[in-house]
Amino acid sequence: MTLPAERLASRALRGLDAGFTRLYGWRYQPLHLTGALAFALLLVLIVTGLYLLVFYRISAPWSSVERLVADPWLGRWMRSLHRFASDAMVVAVIIHAFRMFAQSRSWGPRVLAWISGVALLLFVFVSGWTGFVIVWDTFGARLAIAGAALFDSLPVLSEPVQRVFSGERPVPSAFFFINLFLHVAIPLCVAAGLWIHVSRVARPKLLPPAVLGTVVIGGLTLLSIALPAPLPPEANPLELVTDVPGDLIYAFWLPWTERAPAWAGWTAATATFVLALAIPRFMRRAREGEWAPSVVDERLCTGCNQCPQDCPWEAIAMRGRTDDRDTLVAHVNPELCVSCGVCAGSCAPMGVGPALRTGRDQLVLIRDLIGHLEPDAEPTIVAVLCRNAPPSHERALVNAGAKLHTVSCTGNVHTSAVELALRGGVDGVMIFSCPPRDCRGREGPKWLEQRMYHDREAELQPRVDRRRVGLATAAAGDLRGTMLAFEEFRRGVQQIEDVAPDEGDLPEPLCDPQPVSARKVRA
Amino acid sequence: MTPSVLLWRVAGTAVAVAGALALRWSTIAPWMTVTGASDVARVRLSWSARPERVEQCRTLSDEELSKLPEHMRMRTSCEGFTARYLLSVSVDGERLVLDTLRGGGLRHDRPIHVFTESDVKPGERRLRIEVTRIDEGESRAASDSTLEPMAVATDTLMGGRAQREREERSRREAEAIPARLVLDTLLSLAPRRVVLVTFNDDARRLVARMEH
Repeated sequence: MTLPAERLASRALRGLDAGFTRLYGWRYQPLHLTGALAFALLLVLIVTGLYLLVFYRISAPWSSVERLVADPWLGRWMRSLHRFASDAMVVAVIIHAFRMFAQSRSWGPRVLAWISGVALLLFVFVSGWTGFVIVWDTFGARLAIAGAALFDSLPVLSEPVQRVFSGERPVPSAFFFINLFLHVAIPLCVAAGLWIHVSRVARPKLLPPAVLGTVVIGGLTLLSIALPAPLPPEANPLELVTDVPGDLIYAFWLPWTERAPAWAGWTAATATFVLALAIPRFMRRAREGEWAPSVVDERLCTGCNQCPQDCPWEAIAMRGRTDDRDTLVAHVNPELCVSCGVCAGSCAPMGVGPALRTGRDQLVLIRDLIGHLEPDAEPTIVAVLCRNAPPSHERALVNAGAKLHTVSCTGNVHTSAVELALRGGVDGVMIFSCPPRDCRGREGPKWLEQRMYHDREAELQPRVDRRRVGLATAAAGDLRGTMLAFEEFRRGVQQIEDVAPDEGDLPEPLCDPQPVSARKVRA
Repeated sequence: MTPSVLLWRVAGTAVAVAGALALRWSTIAPWMTVTGASDVARVRLSWSARPERVEQCRTLSDEELSKLPEHMRMRTSCEGFTARYLLSVSVDGERLVLDTLRGGGLRHDRPIHVFTESDVKPGERRLRIEVTRIDEGESRAASDSTLEPMAVATDTLMGGRAQREREERSRREAEAIPARLVLDTLLSLAPRRVVLVTFNDDARRLVARMEH
């Protein structure tokens, strides 16, 4: 069951994804990489911030920034890049959060990532506000005064904070020191918070592909050189300013807050924050059906230690057996398992996976599929698609003559199921994965390719004709790419001489069990 | 790369450029202006001052003092409260602010902090600000010359305490805001200017300051 808001968001995201994929191709589709882009921009902020810190003076905040801006060679665009990168980072983080919400990736084992992400976004905002304030231009002063007015509405301090900016005396350097300290310290906390944010995932990919990172950062640099961010005039507490160009991304709330009573501002901010934190509570599902965690059949587990290595969520660990076999046995922690099913594809003896999605369950489904195949003059191609694949691609493949087989994630596909399909009379199996950086199971396409072509454990057996197995990416917005890949694969299959499949039962691939002592035991 | 893909890539570049320009625009969003600031001036009151303490004092007898621990033996015992004040701000006879001022803290014995802003039309304006003590009564401690010195040797730690008490009370009284303060002045208010009214501790009166 999905919430209406989630359905709406999912539809909107699919449309956006399709549009961006058309524009940039799925390999460098920025919407798939918003989290990594946000991290790359954080690095840009740290580097440019360190440079700016050298020239900043708390005793003369605006003048020191003015001197920086007057330097056309480095200072001006470094400051602009710092500012543009901070805005772009917030945009990236918000899209990233929206993506996680729309793809139902905010609840269950992902709660820690969601909560820490919300906290990180708050930290980013606070750090940004302090960054504007320390410049002490008209916008910084306006932000400081609005913040002070909000604080003054709380019964905490008897002396109004706003008096600091009243003009009775110069704003004390201590004020700028505190803001500068926060502006430097909070990003360090954000860096530490990122560790928590990704702590539940194995092999987190923090950076975008080099090409995309270079284009985004290079583009922002060019923008900073060509159209640097202007420096508003120095704040003067004894003058009312009519035009204060403000930062829409960090201070979208400012015009409204200045007009509304303080309690309304606090209520809106608190409600937004609490609602954001509570989203996992609204989104959670019963851990059954498609959301059921993986389970291990200890009778089949050989203790090969492959599923813990492949699990993208570090939800599987090896531990001692309860029977008398001299191997370890895999154990799935349901609190960490997101039901991606990647382990089902990684287990050669088919002893692990979510209910009804293990390798053995896949064989049953394939046998059923084969049983319903009709003799056809055309080569029979089974197109395996992830359930998150665009419906338009499914329809187009069916119209092109493919036999559709939908799986929860192509990373779940067991090589034996592919082999069984080919032995059962299918001429070719084409597996269409989601774009690798948009896989909800995180590493499905990667492990699938490794098993099919690079002999990763639970590999496709050498006896299987690789020409009859194809891998491709089905990205929303790239129907043409999907169909081109399919047509090319079909032509390739047509050219293969018709070789009769082997007779006899399908031997199950088994990995070699290793003694306990020779194996790395995962905690 | 097919022509259609090339076209999409060109469109993608255009979208990226537009996105970059939008990002730059968002950093100087022009709609974020202070509405109406162009045709107003502002009167800002900002000061801190200690409120007067209204208390009744009496001199303790030696017998009463002897019942107290040595370090608490103060000859003068006072009970009271800090005064409240009525703040009134009017421009050309039109009252803009009428507020009661109290000392800060739960017991209201901390300094009064005033911060208030009112927008007024620019031009020649008569500004009148009054701060008037509301609570009646007076502190007798500082002026009470009948208090006797403590009956302790002057070379001990407690020696000279009565004198110190008197000095402390005098200092507090001198620091306190006067029972009545009035600022009545004619100002030429330019648009977008702020008149800052503060309490001058040395002159013990309200002063208005404005940049021209």
